[in-house]
Amino acid sequence: MRVIKSRGLEIFDVELGKDLLARNRSLAKENRKRLDRAKILAIDIMGSIGSGKTSLIKAILKKIGMGDSVAVIAGDLTTTIDAERIEAEGARVIQVNTGRECHLDANLIQQALNRMELDGVKLLFVENVGNLICPGEFPLGAHKRLVVTSVTEGPYTLMKHPYIFREADVIVLNKIDLAKAMKVNLSQLERDAKKINAHAPFIKTNALSGMGLSRIINALELKT
Amino acid sequence: MLESAERNNGKKVLSIQLEIGELTHLNGEQVAFWVKELFKDSVAEGAEVKIKAIKARIHCTVCGYRGGIRSDREDSFQHLALHACPQCNSFQFKIEKGRECFLRRIQVVG
Repeated sequence: MRVIKSRGLEIFDVELGKDLLARNRSLAKENRKRLDRAKILAIDIMGSIGSGKTSLIKAILKKIGMGDSVAVIAGDLTTTIDAERIEAEGARVIQVNTGRECHLDANLIQQALNRMELDGVKLLFVENVGNLICPGEFPLGAHKRLVVTSVTEGPYTLMKHPYIFREADVIVLNKIDLAKAMKVNLSQLERDAKKINAHAPFIKTNALSGMGLSRIINALELKT
Repeated sequence: MLESAERNNGKKVLSIQLEIGELTHLNGEQVAFWVKELFKDSVAEGAEVKIKAIKARIHCTVCGYRGGIRSDREDSFQHLALHACPQCNSFQFKIEKGRECFLRRIQVVG
């Protein structure tokens, strides 16, 4: 640490240069190493409130039929509603209640991993807190990041939140069966997605009917 | 920060300087408010919180442009809107700067 003392006065600067987000990044790296050692593929599922993150995870679990070789870390402010819904599909679930925080961070994931029985787990889903802002700034150590939005959020969500969609490996547009009722132009949303992130596959789904699920499973390279 | 002040025999922290990247979703006014709250009843109570913005810097993967972003809008959060490379209008760029949050330095009275 560099200390600059001013002459004759007892006022001086203490240089800290401390990157306050660096700790999260280094914990995320530790999480990734640990997952790699255990040969677990981890997917961070981010998305808006009510966009269908839990429904999508449930539908994927049902389709891939991997039972308890899948673990899910379900993030939510205070409730266990999502965890219970996912548990019904036979996966191992741990609930992380953030209390007030609007996103999961690498430290919370590390604590969840410490408490989980990971023997035999091959795939881990992390369901982030519903939010299109903060989760994008806190990498967790997952191998892939999927961002879910839905047509009921209207036509502008992607353009309003470009930074989280830039981070995505896969972009999912859910509830497309409601597009007509919502007067949402699906091809415009697809153009927005491609503009923001040309590399991420843009997948239109209806998590409740199962439409589009196979494309997600392929895009995430999940073995079924 | 309090440990550093103590190690340097600082009796009072006069100011705290933070540097926040303009592509983070951190609001300087809110951060300053909470930092002041956080250090109440400590040697840093009442310290001035100075916040400097770190300008965004991008590297375009299409044309190779390296530099700042451009915005047609004047409001203070325009840098968080969707930007294209100012040289080739592509959206395919890497962010080199602008996502940091640094506690840069503190000024203390010994």
